[in-house]
Amino acid sequence: MSILEPSNLPNAIEVRGLNFFYGKFQGLKNVNLDIAENKVTAFIGPSGCGKSTLLRTLNRMYSLYPGQRAEGEINLYGQNVLSPKQDLNLLRAQVGMVFQKPTPFPMSIYDNIAFGVRLYENLNRADMDERVEWALSKAAIWTEVKDKLGQSGLSLSGGQQQRLCIARSVAVKPKVILLDEPTSALDPISTAKVEELVHELKTDYTVAIVTHNMQQAARVSDFTAYMYLGELVEFGKTDEIFIKPKKKETEDYITGRFG
Amino acid sequence: MNANLYRKRKFTNQIGLTLSMLAMGLGLFVLLWILFVLFKNGFSALDLNMFTQSTPAPGTEGGGLLNAIVGSLLLVGFTALFSTPIGIFAGVYLAEYGDSSKIAETTRFVTDIMLSAPSIVLGLFVYAIIVAQVGHFSGWAGTVALSLIAVPVVVRTTENMLRLVPGSLREAAFALGAPRWKVATFVTLRAAKSGVVTGLLLALARISGETAPLLFTALNNQFFSADMTAPMANLPVVIFQFAMSPYDNWVRLAWGGALLITLTVLVLNIIARVMFREKVKV
Amino acid sequence: MSQSLAAQADVDPKMLAVVRRQKIQDFFFHKITASFSLLVLIALLGIIASLIFNSWPTFKKFGFEFIWRVEWDIINEEFGAAIAIVGTLTSAAIALIIAVPLSFGIALFLTETCPVWLRRPLGTAVELLAAVPSIIYGMFGLFIFAPLFADYGQPALQSTLGQMPIIGPMFGGAMNGIGMLAAGLILAFMVLPFIAAVMRDVFEIVPPILRESAYGLGCTTWEVVRHVVLPYTQKGVIGGIMLGLGRALGETMAVTFVIGNSNRLAASLFAPGTSIASTLANEFGEAEDFHISTLFALGLLLFVITFIVLAIAKILIIRAEKAKGFKT
Repeated sequence: MSILEPSNLPNAIEVRGLNFFYGKFQGLKNVNLDIAENKVTAFIGPSGCGKSTLLRTLNRMYSLYPGQRAEGEINLYGQNVLSPKQDLNLLRAQVGMVFQKPTPFPMSIYDNIAFGVRLYENLNRADMDERVEWALSKAAIWTEVKDKLGQSGLSLSGGQQQRLCIARSVAVKPKVILLDEPTSALDPISTAKVEELVHELKTDYTVAIVTHNMQQAARVSDFTAYMYLGELVEFGKTDEIFIKPKKKETEDYITGRFG
Repeated sequence: MNANLYRKRKFTNQIGLTLSMLAMGLGLFVLLWILFVLFKNGFSALDLNMFTQSTPAPGTEGGGLLNAIVGSLLLVGFTALFSTPIGIFAGVYLAEYGDSSKIAETTRFVTDIMLSAPSIVLGLFVYAIIVAQVGHFSGWAGTVALSLIAVPVVVRTTENMLRLVPGSLREAAFALGAPRWKVATFVTLRAAKSGVVTGLLLALARISGETAPLLFTALNNQFFSADMTAPMANLPVVIFQFAMSPYDNWVRLAWGGALLITLTVLVLNIIARVMFREKVKV
Repeated sequence: MSQSLAAQADVDPKMLAVVRRQKIQDFFFHKITASFSLLVLIALLGIIASLIFNSWPTFKKFGFEFIWRVEWDIINEEFGAAIAIVGTLTSAAIALIIAVPLSFGIALFLTETCPVWLRRPLGTAVELLAAVPSIIYGMFGLFIFAPLFADYGQPALQSTLGQMPIIGPMFGGAMNGIGMLAAGLILAFMVLPFIAAVMRDVFEIVPPILRESAYGLGCTTWEVVRHVVLPYTQKGVIGGIMLGLGRALGETMAVTFVIGNSNRLAASLFAPGTSIASTLANEFGEAEDFHISTLFALGLLLFVITFIVLAIAKILIIRAEKAKGFKT
């Protein structure tokens, strides 16, 4: 069962009756939730609860793998992305994703950013340079790499690589950015930098973030969804969830009684 | 504890380990012996003439292996030219679409069979479809035969290397909205680049020493010729012909050619090995 | 919310055009790569078809009897594959009998007893040996090994094994250094590094924990290998041996130099003989008409033999990998 928080905020994504299957196994059960525009929504819960699964339905990443399927509706600004008519590349250009492990492409830093932009836009050299700088600045990494744009993306440190991946997602100007445990492979300092980034990103983008770190969720998000065994147990404003959760299961998880 | 039993077990162990060490020793000994013999006999033939003169007539003195060297270079070169795109494209297909396609499954099975098929049978096949139809041996027929050997190697290594690329890298490219072909080429293939090149080098090393398939296709040519539509001289067949002959000069040249081929093959293998290790480091 | 929808509609037309183009590109990419893949398939089918087609005259004349007919008379056009098949199988059998235990020993050494710093160089040496072209082994066999074998090896064998009942005749006759046994030995040298490398790779996959548990019980190294490593890698080892067998069966150059090239069956391993591949290598150049079809028939038989061996190897290896999947 889900709880819809009545709000007057516009929603970027509305999930209705979402069921997800890995073959015969049901990974998500009747999930209903809203992802508000220009806000950060966090998905938390113990391992295997379905939070990453849920995130990956939003950009239909699961469609790469036969045997995985979703039923229900996911409305991105009114358009149901689960419809078979939905063009997947188009969807992913509008809903970007950053992964747990930093994944710089085997190209120069400049090309890493330019790759995504070149897919859908025809920019001349000057405009592309501008866009690359803009994206790297947005990801708070411009000053560190501006003198070595020609170097391979793999030559950066882990934290820098992750910020590069965030810059890459931002560069194509999506509507929504999905973050799948973006800091779990990073050291504390890089983690702090990325969390600061998330905070700034929400002025221009809608952000959904999966994290197994509750404190992180409390720090960065406006709304939180607590999931358990494929079900959305509770969903609401982050402050309310963490200070006065409505359900006992939520309270148990948050106070560390299990998980 | 039964001391007798233990002693017997220890003894068996000693014997087993000693035998295995002897086996390793024997293997090493053979390798060194062969290399030593090669160098000793081949070195004396390694003079300027070998690289500047063509094969001599039977029973005469002097001469070299120029036509055979050039011929081999041409054959191997063209084979590389043809088998590289075929092998890589097929390998990409198997890696990208291979999990859900019957064609892919069958191709993989076929590739493995062809990988170990007797090369002389491949030569027979090319003879039947090209040489017999056209009426004469040719360098092109030789190239086709060598390609039949090289392509399966390239396909297999390309697919394996592509599959080693972590799934998250591919997903990151898809997550940007990239179409499948761009993900496969600009990201996955690029990431596997050095592994794929390694496969190419290994394929080249393998065909450089192949004799049997050339016997029925390119055959040989006494004189210098760069004409791919005519019989083409090549090192392996020349070695075969010269070594089994009663002429000392020819045998000498055969050793020289053998040394050349072995060095080429070893160097290609070592380069491939070094490249591959670098890829793993990154 | 309506504001966002409008913004959404704005971007679409430009992007839709790109998306459409991408769909077409992806379509062609799929078809092109698939067709290259099909090429390989077609090649194999072509090979089989061509072999059958070109050997048809022979099978038409002799029927399946051709396979076990002991006859090879070019002038009178009386052919039979038995001599060549026996030669192929015998030389391969000799090669494996010698190479398999030795490979096992080398693999054991490389994975258990060899000091760690020495493992890579020695392993590389074995792999490089496997890369040496077979014609080199042939030359080595003819010029270096054969004379030594004739002077020392064969007399030794003849005076010991050659004196025993039953197997005695196998070591009798003239001692020229060449012949079936010599061919088998050279083949063994050639196949040895290949099988050793495969065995070593397969041994290395055994989880260290499994080995450690055995050592922890007080097993000697030999016992660990015999009772833990070998059973665990059994199917992979067998698969590797079959692959080596496949190579030995199809080998031309290493064998042709030393097998003596005589189209007769003999009791002695010292006598010259022939294999399918050698017959093809020696006779194809001068063959005419019907003779050619008999050579194609031999080729077809060789292909069938190696195909069967390889198919069995593949199945065993697949089963071994599946088993590994379950166990880890």
